[in-house]
Amino acid sequence: MSAIVETQGLTKMYGNVVALDDFSHKFEPAHIHALMGKNGSGKSTLVKMLSGVTQPTSGTMMLNGRQVEFKSPQDAFEANIVTVHQELSLVPDLSVTENIFLGRLPRTRTLGIDRINWGQARLQTEELFTRMGLNIDPKATISRLSVGQQQTVEIAKAMSFNPTLLLLDEPTSALATKEVEMLFGLLRNLKDQGVTMMYISHRMSELAEIADTVTVLRDGKHVGSIEMAASSLDTVVDMMFGDVARATRPARSTDISKKNPILQVKGLTRAPAFEDISFDLRRGEVLGLAGMLGAGRTEVLRAIFGADPHDAGEIIMDGQVVDTPAPGSMVDLGLGYTPENRKEGGLVQAHSIHNNLSMASLSKLAPRGIITKAVEAPGVAKQIEQLQIKVDSPALPVSSLSGGNQQKVVIGNWLNTDPKIMFFDEPSRGVDVHAKQQIFQIIWEQAATGLSSIFVSTELEEMLEVCDRILVMKEGRLLGEIDPSKTTLTELYTACMEGL
Amino acid sequence: MALSLFRRYPMEIILVCMYTYLMLAAPGFATLDNQMNVLRNITMQGIIAFGMTMVIVSGEIDLSVGSGVAFSGCVTAWVARALTDMLGPWPAITIGAIAAMVILFLVGVLTGKVRQHFNMPTFITTLGLLTVLSGAANLITDGFPITSFPFQFNFLGAGILFGIPFPVYIFAAVFGFVYFLMNYTSFGRALYAVGGNLEAARLSGIDVWKTKTLALGITGVLTAIAGVLIASQILSGSASAARGWELDVISAVIIGGTSLFGGKGTVRGTLIGVLFLGIIVNGMTLLNVSEYWQLVVRGGLIIGAVLLNHALDRSTVKH
Repeated sequence: MSAIVETQGLTKMYGNVVALDDFSHKFEPAHIHALMGKNGSGKSTLVKMLSGVTQPTSGTMMLNGRQVEFKSPQDAFEANIVTVHQELSLVPDLSVTENIFLGRLPRTRTLGIDRINWGQARLQTEELFTRMGLNIDPKATISRLSVGQQQTVEIAKAMSFNPTLLLLDEPTSALATKEVEMLFGLLRNLKDQGVTMMYISHRMSELAEIADTVTVLRDGKHVGSIEMAASSLDTVVDMMFGDVARATRPARSTDISKKNPILQVKGLTRAPAFEDISFDLRRGEVLGLAGMLGAGRTEVLRAIFGADPHDAGEIIMDGQVVDTPAPGSMVDLGLGYTPENRKEGGLVQAHSIHNNLSMASLSKLAPRGIITKAVEAPGVAKQIEQLQIKVDSPALPVSSLSGGNQQKVVIGNWLNTDPKIMFFDEPSRGVDVHAKQQIFQIIWEQAATGLSSIFVSTELEEMLEVCDRILVMKEGRLLGEIDPSKTTLTELYTACMEGL
Repeated sequence: MALSLFRRYPMEIILVCMYTYLMLAAPGFATLDNQMNVLRNITMQGIIAFGMTMVIVSGEIDLSVGSGVAFSGCVTAWVARALTDMLGPWPAITIGAIAAMVILFLVGVLTGKVRQHFNMPTFITTLGLLTVLSGAANLITDGFPITSFPFQFNFLGAGILFGIPFPVYIFAAVFGFVYFLMNYTSFGRALYAVGGNLEAARLSGIDVWKTKTLALGITGVLTAIAGVLIASQILSGSASAARGWELDVISAVIIGGTSLFGGKGTVRGTLIGVLFLGIIVNGMTLLNVSEYWQLVVRGGLIIGAVLLNHALDRSTVKH
């Protein structure tokens, strides 16, 4: 069989950074090809080049034996390559039919007036659905459908272009198990009809079920491609991570395991996000909460902080039972939370660095409610120095800073409240390597001075690097505890995917 | 140099230019009497505009203030009429004025609560209240102005103290009060944070709903104060007073550079906006510009001011 897609020496550089390095591979037609790799491994770059979003720096792409050059997504589109992106691109208030034929609804002329032929549109949608084996009402409004159904409509929309190559970027990340089943049925059905698919996912367990081949990328390099039927998940994980050099944590002067708990959580539940979560956080400890996307890590942190409600369970902070946590009262008790998305939850982008650094400590600085810049200035200056935040002037808007420095402002905002406990939710997201190391350094230094913290990161090697102890979560449940000094990355990854 | 100065104080510089032009070109503009006249005319709307600045910075809006002014004047007059025989005119008026302030404060709080618990945009709640309060004012007065005030009461809205119209002192005091609130209190800081990023403010432990509700409540009180001053000026409680003021007030706030999206704006800017509108109306009248043209110019001004602010914002980002 000849390859449907063949790449030779495909390379993409962003400035001096190599996103994809000399990638040469042949993809067989009518297969489902999984692309695996950590964040930043180059798999999205590959997909972007195939869909015409970016252009290769060097190397060639061949489609059905002919060399192609995609200058825009439109070019890829005309070559029958269609992409389903991770975020849904449907208009929620329009019907299924309107979404599928958005911008290209069939038209007809009646009495010289150009009008939309609704009957024709619905007929075409029904035909499409029958061909795909779907049972969705073409007249239904998108917002009334489940997320799984919406994802299916998204794929149906892609299919209405009759693609020969379908690129799927994490199509299951928002789906429940049952919806994933439905989606996989659909994909197998499409494969039988001769459609080739490239599939990006972070969910290992899906591979065995849906993929024919797995192509693994690491740091932009092609590690290898294997037939899924002939290999195990362990092989894939080893290929993904390789031998990882781990930064070493400074040795602790005291034995953390003998310290008293400062935060106790007992049976915390909010169905279906998380259930029966119980753990202790000890004084001065850096506790990790590991798990895949959607395992419920952030949800648990937000519930303890009082940002979201919970149904049942007990939170005991510093010996004090907290009945109904709310951000305001938890801050007063000495809890701080740097949210996973600093743009949406951590910073007021248009406001100055100064104001963002004293947002959480207002009530502490101004017990009578009266405040001046001079009262805040010492705290602002202290954090800029202590966290080495690179600023020309604290009066500039925080949006003028790099990602790493913005994250440090979020952390500094909280350190100014003199917290006893900090929750760090994805503090390294969108931050360069150097700043990342600085942020970890800050967490360790704070821990050495007695701050207790919970650390969450999607990057599992960071968890091993940063934490004293790691709790593993899967599908809203706490599975158990891991000692990072005795655990390899592969073991932690497998624990998060498959359970302990 | 000149350009960076303009970038920093665009409306101030335009205001000074316009003022200078009117001094030279408009007959009678430069007289002390006329200057005081301008000041007197802007005070009532200005008092409300300062409160409105807080509301808009917090990411909300209050469209009901026009009716609020009429309503509070009528409440004051109604209470004064009912109690004057028993308590004498001054205690009766005082009780009436306080009643109006309390009611409008509570209406503001209610608007905030409805926003919090039912996620009802304040645009809609206060649009409804605009009509409700107008209806209530007519119910109180039965459609006719209540003339229950002694003529000395006229001093509050129309009197002169040390050569300056009395309401200007109140105007200045309110400006100072709101300036202090917005710049030197944690409530003020919270207003900006809540309007700039609600979720970030909430996760920082700021009571976002209390902040918004308080801004609405304070604006209610300031509206009532303006209502009492108007009632004093016209020596009656009239349901048809201050019709359409909400748009003038909001215009002044916007001309002053406050963003309708929240999180950005200053009460100093609003002061400029208020002066701007007051001077241009007065100037055009003196220049014999027809009232219809005045409307066209005022409307165009709002659009122009916002366009200018946007353009300057964008060019600052580039620099």
